[in-house]
Order: sequence, then structure tokens, then C-alpha cells
Amino acid sequence: MTTPAMEIDAVDIGFGPPGQRTEVLSDINLKVEKNEFVAIIGFSGSGKSTLMNLLAGIQPASSGEVRMNGTPVREPGPELGILFQNYSLLPWLSVYGNIDLAVKQVFPAKTAAERKDYIQRYIDMVSLSGSEWKKPSELSGGMRQRLSLARTLSMQPEVLLLDEPLSALDALTRANLQDEIIRIWEEDRRTVIMITNDVDEAVLMADRIIALTPGPKATLGKSFPVTLDRPRDRTTLNFNPEFIALRNEVTKYMIGINEEAKKLRVSADLPLPGLMPIDFNSHDRKPRVAQTSDLIAPGSQQVPEVEERELVGAADE
Amino acid sequence: MSEQTRIEKIKYGLLKTIDVSGFKVFDPVVRLIFGEEPQKQVKDITRFMLMPIVFVCCCLVAWNFIAPRHKTKSGEVPTPAQVWNALTINDTLYDRENEKESDFALSDDQREAKIEEVKTLIETKESESTKLKEELATIEASAKQKKAEALAPLQAEYSELKTTHKEARAKRKIEAESLAEAVTKKKATTEELLTFLRDSSRLKEDEKEKEQIIKDQIAEINNEKPKSLQAAQMASDSAATEVQHLKKRLDYLSSGNRSLKVAKAKDSASSALTELESAKSPAEILAAANTVVKNEERASKIAKQEYPRASTIWFQMWRSLFTVFIGFVLAAVVAIPIGIMCGLNRVAMACLTPIISIFKPVSPVVWLLIFQIVVGAFFPNPETHPFFVFLNSLPIIGRLNANPALIFSACTVAMCALWPALVNTALGVSSVEKDHMNVAKVLRLGLWSRLTKIIIPSSLPLMFAGLRISLGVGWMVLIAAEALSSSEGLGKFVWDEYQNGSSLTFSNILLACFVIGIIGFILDRIMIVLQRAVSFDDGAATV
Amino acid sequence: MAIASGVPFPREANCFSRSNKRTSIPQLSELKLHSKPVKRKDIKNLLFPILSFAVALFVMGLSEASGVVTDPTTPAQPLAKPTPEQLDVEKDELKFGFIKLTDCAPIVIAKEKGFFEAEGLQVEVIAQPNWKQLLDNVINGELDGAHMLSGQPIAATIGFGTKAHIVTAYTLDLNGNGITVSNDVWAAMVENDPSLDTPTPQHPISAAPLKPVVQEKLDSGEKLQMGMVFPVSTHNYEIRYWLASAGIHPGMYTSEDIKGFTEAQVELSVTPPPQMPSALESGTISGYCVGEPWNQQAVAKSIGVPVTTNYDIWKNNPEKVFGVTKAWADENPNTHIAVVKALIRAGKWLDETDGAGNLVNREEACRLLAKPNYVGADFDVIKNSMTGFFYFQKSDKRAMPDFNVFFKYQSSYPWYSDGVWFLTQMRRWGQITEPKPAQWYDETAKSVYLPLVYLDAAKRLMDEGHIAETDIPWDTDGYRPATSDFIDGIEYDGKKPLEYLKKHAIGHQN
Repeated sequence: MTTPAMEIDAVDIGFGPPGQRTEVLSDINLKVEKNEFVAIIGFSGSGKSTLMNLLAGIQPASSGEVRMNGTPVREPGPELGILFQNYSLLPWLSVYGNIDLAVKQVFPAKTAAERKDYIQRYIDMVSLSGSEWKKPSELSGGMRQRLSLARTLSMQPEVLLLDEPLSALDALTRANLQDEIIRIWEEDRRTVIMITNDVDEAVLMADRIIALTPGPKATLGKSFPVTLDRPRDRTTLNFNPEFIALRNEVTKYMIGINEEAKKLRVSADLPLPGLMPIDFNSHDRKPRVAQTSDLIAPGSQQVPEVEERELVGAADE
Repeated sequence: MSEQTRIEKIKYGLLKTIDVSGFKVFDPVVRLIFGEEPQKQVKDITRFMLMPIVFVCCCLVAWNFIAPRHKTKSGEVPTPAQVWNALTINDTLYDRENEKESDFALSDDQREAKIEEVKTLIETKESESTKLKEELATIEASAKQKKAEALAPLQAEYSELKTTHKEARAKRKIEAESLAEAVTKKKATTEELLTFLRDSSRLKEDEKEKEQIIKDQIAEINNEKPKSLQAAQMASDSAATEVQHLKKRLDYLSSGNRSLKVAKAKDSASSALTELESAKSPAEILAAANTVVKNEERASKIAKQEYPRASTIWFQMWRSLFTVFIGFVLAAVVAIPIGIMCGLNRVAMACLTPIISIFKPVSPVVWLLIFQIVVGAFFPNPETHPFFVFLNSLPIIGRLNANPALIFSACTVAMCALWPALVNTALGVSSVEKDHMNVAKVLRLGLWSRLTKIIIPSSLPLMFAGLRISLGVGWMVLIAAEALSSSEGLGKFVWDEYQNGSSLTFSNILLACFVIGIIGFILDRIMIVLQRAVSFDDGAATV
Repeated sequence: MAIASGVPFPREANCFSRSNKRTSIPQLSELKLHSKPVKRKDIKNLLFPILSFAVALFVMGLSEASGVVTDPTTPAQPLAKPTPEQLDVEKDELKFGFIKLTDCAPIVIAKEKGFFEAEGLQVEVIAQPNWKQLLDNVINGELDGAHMLSGQPIAATIGFGTKAHIVTAYTLDLNGNGITVSNDVWAAMVENDPSLDTPTPQHPISAAPLKPVVQEKLDSGEKLQMGMVFPVSTHNYEIRYWLASAGIHPGMYTSEDIKGFTEAQVELSVTPPPQMPSALESGTISGYCVGEPWNQQAVAKSIGVPVTTNYDIWKNNPEKVFGVTKAWADENPNTHIAVVKALIRAGKWLDETDGAGNLVNREEACRLLAKPNYVGADFDVIKNSMTGFFYFQKSDKRAMPDFNVFFKYQSSYPWYSDGVWFLTQMRRWGQITEPKPAQWYDETAKSVYLPLVYLDAAKRLMDEGHIAETDIPWDTDGYRPATSDFIDGIEYDGKKPLEYLKKHAIGHQN
């Protein structure tokens, strides 16, 4: 059997000191074949971003391992091209400059002229021609995500990780970009793992849909293969019975696991009130107060401290 | 069509320039010129330009009204006109220094021509001055007479009052004595005596009060100085000063002139040279040769001499700017790397936090005194110290006469300006967006590229916001530091004026207040423009 | 346009555009930017010192601190056939400090009338904020020399306050101080002594009528506060002398009490001269002793009444000297002589009289002193005392031809006896904590006062024809004859300091 392009092997991720530990992800197992398009679907706050960061190597696993082509992923890198939900563009650089930064870093051997052509190709690919010298602040949301996509693609990653890439966009732009991503993927096939909260999007784009159960202790649930023929046309798809059936099945499943999770959560023990020291040298602009809801949040499902820790870790290096 | 777009382009170019340079108030003016929604623009102009102007004018009027009515014995609050007058006087002082400087350096025909010019000027000014003096004398005499006339009745009244009071007091004394006697004879009670004494003491107080009233009136008349006398005095003073200045100029054109002094030294050298040729004995030869060498040296030394300028407000302004610049650069050079370090590393931040917290609130005056000792120790002999020799040999900066006082003023500025820049840099660096750091991680940027490509560009806006505060703090601190350290600059101008205690003192201090304020404002504007140039948010919250 | 940002700008912008016109033009020409545009190189030059600042400071500091001791150059041959040629000065660009008081006149005049230039000296005269800083700047080399209180070189040399060997070869002036009391205190004094209640009371006024005022204050648990200029200033000794002569104890200095408040009935505190009138007006102090123009200022503003001048306390007492460090004097012997020459000429010029004995040059001097970079007070105010008049009250203008003496009475000679008097006062009030033998007074005075330099300069001037032979005490041993021209009539003989100390009831007597 061939080694999968991307493999998650019994990964747990938890935060907090012993005794107050919050398990975000637990017992995650996933295998993605080469050039497969996998969509992971989950409710917001269920640990999707943590899962994505795990895949990208940004978030280390508490236990278990992530492997790419059989080698463990220990740190992020250009081969794991991640497309962030909020674009992550550098606002002081132009469209060209943003891509240039990546290309220079990943392909240092390229000459200036080569680089220029190369960058232009990606700008054209995402239909941003003519906006090369605009700053991200001058672009619309859709254009920004295109730019982000172009930058990620320009690194020629082996695996493309899409972290709710379209959730911040309006419906029309979203549809437009979905088509775009599919087009580009069809032209230049590679392994894609996409996280989304949109069942339609998942069904439209993916080869396989995997559910993520709501946190805490989120884990991967049932897997739904999508057997619809490609290219999939969104106009006709709405009348496709297979599409409708799959969509309903997935939606029903998702609602079901959410109900279960709610029941579970009510019975959960209330932890001690927040005694976490306030961190003065906070690396965050916002004042932060430790709250019980940070630790366990019935109703609101927030992952405590994840973001802070990541930032701190990043700055410390 | 192309014409239309060109005009549009010019318009938006102008609007953008105005916006970036921080003069957004002129925005409606530009729009009005291009005919965009004239009514709205006129409304905006009235609201945001005319109203403030009217308000400032109202303030000026109020100032003009209140100032002469607010008198203390230490002086009067100057009116706007007096401050303006102070400005022209300071400007004249500056011009005079310029004249003397150029006179000092003139030579040959130009010098001769200038001498003639100055001589005729002296003649006219002198006659003018004598005339003014005479006028002043007559006005003074008449004022004196008027005063005497006004005082005479009051003084008469006062002495009359005093004699009557004296008599009354003597009478009361006798009465009291007789009353006391009566008490011994039991003809009166002690109570009566006490009442009498109490009454007379009260009477005495009343009398004193009455005397004081007249005394005050006399003092008031004595203090009065008629406007005409003041004006005559000022006119006569300024004419006399002008004459004196012209005479000094003449001096710089003749005996004090550089070229003449050089020529004199050269003459001595050449005469000593002929002496040398005719000298016989070795002692004579040696003496003559020595004289030649000395005079040659002197000639070359004098040729390099500069006119020693007396400091004027504009010179002091430039020197203050230079000092604050050095202090600011020092602060930035120290604060930014430390700030970056603190922002990157929490341990570094923890290490520095106590130091920052303790030193940040310390007053600039304390720093100044400390730096006086610390910096002073490095320059035991400032005149010949290579650092100052170097600074003062520079083309423009050399004219500012850098000295240790400048350096420790600058250090004080740096010490106080350090903190906002440091704290803001640290904040900027530590609050680089997580996503941007993730990009760095994905790209596997090294520490250096991470710094230069992500962290620094991302924290530039906050860094510049800090630097802007720093410059503002520095400028404020500098004025105090200069006043205390007697380093030439606007602070010293204020302090000297205060020490002068002349009738112009308060006008000059207010003038300095405006100069300092306006420069502070300009510096702040420059920093705003820089800050805007590096900031990318531009009001867009999400990028 | 945003309202929030729009509002503050127009006003500022208005200020900017209005005054920019006036300020910017001279600014530019000041630095000759128009003739010499800033080149790239200049900017580099500018950056370099800043970047190399710390390094330079450190390296220079080390090298200089390690102490390159310059050998004292061969001292100028005293009185050895001077030539009318300029002296071969070691240093021709000098900086002198002064305090904004009219008795800095000789220094200002020597500069403005070209006496320094005649000696080949290019002199910058710089106002100093206070006496302490002036002394510090002389010691640290920022200034070459300065207008100093007579007590300063002595105190610095014996180590009271900052220790440094300071010397003087020139006495700048005599007299020139006054004691002013507030209007209230004056009213009380008038009440205590009705003979003062006239527009022109009889002088000298002793502190006796002040005594009840002091006592009254003491009874109510307070001490009368008065101001003086500096712990070792003539003013301090004069006001103490004046108070003590009327039996008021002005307080002793001890090794612990450096403020001099011990046993004080009147507390004397240091107040900078320019702040005296406002301190008096605000009631912080009830009187002060200070030089001109600050007494006349009190009259002009009617906030106080000068009760006496130091001329009445001690007729023709020494006031200010021209001080330099010993090291500077050793390194620049010829420069020192040249400076003293210029100062002697300035002093003589200031005291020039016409046939009728009127001071002819004083008005011009006042005009020069009234410039803002010198004394800067109003011409009228300076003129009062400098031209030989003194206003005790607005109605009481008196001729005081000797209020400022710059040259008369051979006053500019550095007399040892002056130094000894200050030493006796320092001992009397406890600034010198230990009793000293008479010989010590003589030796200390001789280490501070340098009459040889003065005589050398004077000789040259006489040969050049600038001064007359009678102007200078050629054959003196440096001690003036004994005098009893004091307010209390006690005789002072500089050769007998210990006997002099014994004559005073208040203060140390040995």
C-alpha cells in the first residue's frame, strides 16, 4: 500500500495545567491520499483551526504524530501551503511584494527576471492582473483571498491546507472563488485538505467529507465519499438527487452529533473558578481576564488560550 | 475627456498631499476651487476654518483687553502688540549681529565704502538722538512738575494729619495720666481707665488708617508714569542704542576689522624681516626671527578668526533644534533596539521592566544634574577635545558652538524621550499579528528576515507613534534642561530674560512661548507625516 | 473632512502660517543655508558623530582622564622689560562667565570697548545662571575665567563648598550692594524709630529698629526670613555684619549645619538675585542683601525699601573679583597678563571723570550693560546706581558717587587684606570650623591673590601710556592700612586677623 500524502495518527491536543486541562482534540486519525481533495466539516469552535494548525505544523500535538509522505511534520514549511481564513497578507507590501516575499524565500535560486515572470504567472492565475502594485488595504475581500491563494500556490506546496478560506466572504464572491479554486486545482492537481462549516461548499468541492465532532475532545467522525462527477456545475447540481441526498445526510449527521455533544456538556464537571494569573507582559493588545467560560464554555465554545500561546511561542523563537 | 481626467487627477493629487501632510483643514478649499459641491465646501470652510480663526481673534482681543488690567508689582502682562514689538526688537538684535559680522569680515574698497556709509548714518542718528534726548528732558521735567503739583496738596494734608494726630495722641496721653491719678484718688474706677485706653487705642488705629490712605495715594502718584514719558524714554533709548551700535560697527570696520588686523600683523612680520636682514649679533638675529615667526602665526590665526556673535533668539532656536535632534537620535538609537529585544523576548522584558518603571518617572532636572557629572567627566578640557573640535569644524553645525552643555542637555532629552519610544516599540513588536508570524513560520524565515521583513515593518506605525511622543517630550524637556544648564538655546533665552528683569522680560518670555510652541507644533507635524508614511492600516481595520 | 480632526487644526495652522513668515527667513540666513546647501557629505558628517558618540566619549574620556599633565610653561618674566608689542598669548579665544549684575561691567566694557581685542584676545562673554554653576564651569574648563564673588576663590581654595584652587589677580569693583526690606518691615522699623519717618531719613540706618521686629517674630515662634546670594558671597557677610552689629544673631555655620541657621534669630537663605524681588513680594523673605539692579528694582516696583548699602556697612569694601583656576593661570601666564591689562583699562575707563569729578563714561557703560545678552535690565534702572545715584525710596534719590568703584582708590589691585577679611568672616560665622593661626590667614590670602600678575600688567600699561603711575600701589606689601570705616566703628587690620575676630560680640572669636 502506498504511503498516504498526509496522515494524522492518534493525535491528542490539550491545553492548560494538569488538573484543569482542556482537551481540544482527541484521538484524531486521518489518511489523505495523494491529489485527494478532503473537506473537514465542523461547527465553529469545535477546534477546526487547531486541527488545521496541527496539519500545518504550527501547533504541535500533545501526543500522536502528523506525517507527510511518511515523514513526521515537526514545523511549518512551504511544502504545507496553508491558506488562512483571514488571508494573513502583509499590509505594508503590495500584491507583488507579498508574493515576492514568499517566492524569494522558497526559490532563492531564481534570478530576478525569472522571479518576475513567475510571480506574474500566479497573479494572472488568480485574475489579479492590473492590481500588482496595490496594497492589500486597497483590495476587496475576495481579491485579498485570491492574493493569499496566489501566494500559497506560488510556494508550490505538496499539500494545500485551506482553513475556512471563504467564510469571511459574501455569498456571491464565495461562489466565485469556489469555482476559481476548483479550476486551479483541476489544472494543477495536488493534495488538498479544506476545513469548512458549509456543507454545500464541501459537497461541491471535495472528494471526501469528514465530520469533526463538536469540542471539547473533538474527534473525526463519519466520512462521506463524494462520488459526483467532475467538473461539477453548481447550477445543475442543485437538482442532482445524489447531491441533495448527500447534503441532507451530512447535515442530519452534523445536527445529530451536536445534540449529543450538548447533552454531554451539561453533565460536565464545573472546574474551579479561574485562578490563572493575569499576564502583565501580555503579548496581546486586548486586556485579558481569566474566566470560567474560558475553561469550559457551555453554549459558547471557545478554545482557551490557544491563540496566545501560539503567538508567544512564535515571538520567543 | 482627457482634460476632465487630468483635472481630476490634479485635484486628487492635491487632496492626497493635503491629507498626508496633515493639513486636512484645507481640504474643502481645494474642493471648492475645483467646484465640487460649493455649498457644502463653503459650509465646511466656515465651520472648520473661519470659526477657528474668529475664535483665535476673539482670544487675541480678550488677551489685549485683559492684559493691561492685570498688574502685579513684578510686572505687567504684555499685550499682543508688546509681544510683537519684542519680536521686532529681537529681530533687530539679530540683524545687528549680522551687520557686525559682515563688517568684521569686510576688506579693501568695500570696507572703505562701508565706513563712509556708517559715518553718515551716525551723523543723522546722532542728531536724531540728541533731539530725542532733549524732548525726553522736557517731557520728564513737565512730568516731574506735574507730579510735584499733584503731590504737594497730598503731602501737606499728610503732614497736617500727622501733626493733628500727634497732638491728639499727646492729649490722650495726658488724659490717661490724669485718669490714672483719679483712680488712685478713687474718683474714677479702673474700669473707666481701661475703657478709655481701649478707646484711644482704637482711635490710634483709625488715625493710622487715615494716614495710610494718604500714603497710598502718594505712592500711587509716585508710581505713575505717563504714557508720553514712557514713549519718549523708549524712543530716546532706542536711538541712543542705535548710535552706539553704529559706533561699534565703525569700530569693526576700522581698528577691529579682521583684514586690518591681519595686515598689521603682516606688517610687523615684514618689518621684523628687514630687521633680521640687517641684524648682526646672534641674539638680535634670533629675536628678529622669533618676531617674524610669531607675527606670521598671528596673521594666519587672525585670518581664521570669526566674529564672536552674541546669541540671539534665532541662533538659539537653531541650537535648540540641533540639541533636540541629537537627543532624539540618541533616544531612538537606544530605544528601538532595546524595544525590539523586549518585544521579542519576555525574559528581556522582565529584566528591563524594573529599570524602565523606576527611571521613567524621574524628572528631567535630576537627569540633567546626573549627566552634568557623568558627561562632564569625559571632557576635562572641552575646548581642545577632539570630539568638539570635530563637531565645530563641520560646515553648518560648527556655527552652533557645540560644548559639553549641549551634550548633557541632549543626553537629558534622550533620557526622557527614551521611554515612549521604547515602550511603544516593545508593544509594536510583541503585538505583531499572529497571522503574520504564521506566514513567517510557513516561509521558514530566519531571525533576521523575520525581523526585517515581518516584525519591524509591522511595528513601524506603533514605533513611530512612540517616536512622535518622544520628540514632543524631548522638546519640552530640552527647554527646561537648557534653562538649567545654561546651554545656549531657547531655554536659556527664557531663563536669561527672566534674569534680566527688564521691562521687556515678560514680552520676551511670551514670545519665546510662541516660538517654542510653534516649533513643537511643526516637529509634531513632521512626525505625523512620517508616521502616516509608514502606517499601512489607514483606517482599514481588517486587512 | 472629519469633524474631530478638523477642529483643532485650523487654529494651529493659522499660527503656523502667521509666524512662519517672520521666523523662517532669519532662520535660514542664520545658518547660511542659502549659500551653502546641505550636502550629502554634511549629513554623513552629522551622522558620524552621533553614531560614534558613545565610543568617542568613552575613548576620549579614558585618554583624557588618564591625566596628561601639562608642564607649566615658563612663567612670564615678571616686570622684565615689557615691549609695547602685544603679548605672546598662549590662547587667544577665551570664554568668560558672568552673573547678570552691574558689577560685571569691567569684563563687558573690556569686550565692547575693544580692550580685549587690543591685546589680541577674542573674548566671548557668557551669562551664567548662578554662582555655583559659574564656579563649576570655570573648574571644568568650560569657561576660562569669570566674574566671581570675592569669597568664591578663597572658599574654593580652602575647600568650603566645591574644592578647587582658584586664583585672582584683579578686583573688579568695590561696594555696589544694598540691603532691602519689605514695605511691611520698613513700616515696622519706622514705627520703632520715628526718626526714620521722613521721606529722607538719616543714613546709615542700623539694624537696631529691626530688632523689635525680629523679637516679635521670635515670640510668635517664627524667625524672620531674609535672602542672600550665596553662602560665601560678600552679601552674606555684609548682611550678617549689619544684623550682628545691632545685636541680632544671624546664625552660625557648623560642620553639620551648612545652611548657617544654628542659633539664628534671623534665618538667611540663598536666593538667586533675580528671584529676590518676587520672593520679597510673595512674602517668602522679608528682606535681602543683593547687588544692583535688584535693590533699585524693588524701588521701581515699590515692593521694598533699601535701608542701607554696603558702602555704609564698610566704606569701600571689596566686592567681586576676576577668578581663574590656578591650573589655567599656570598654563596661560601671558594670556592672564593680557586679560588683566584689558580689565585694568576697562576699570579705568569706567571711573574716568571730567574736571568737575563727574563720571563721564558711565552712561555709555549703562547702555552696553542694558543689552539683553549682558545685564539686560532696563537702562533707567541700571543708570540709577551706576551713574552715582541711589534711590532709597521713590522720593529719596541720593548722590552716591562711590556706590560702584571700579578703579579709584587703587581698588582693582588684588589686596591680601581683602582676602584676609573674607577669611575672618568665614571663621567668624563658622564656615571655617577650626580656629586657625594668624599665619594661615596670610598664607591662604597669598595663595589666592596674585598681585605680581597685576603689577606686570600695570607696568606694561604704564609703559604704553594707558595709566598713570599714581593709579597703582607699586610698593605695597599687599595689606591696606588698618581702617575703622565700618558701621560699628570696629577697626580692621589685615595683619591681625585674630585680634579682629576677638572684637566682635557675635560669632567665633578665635
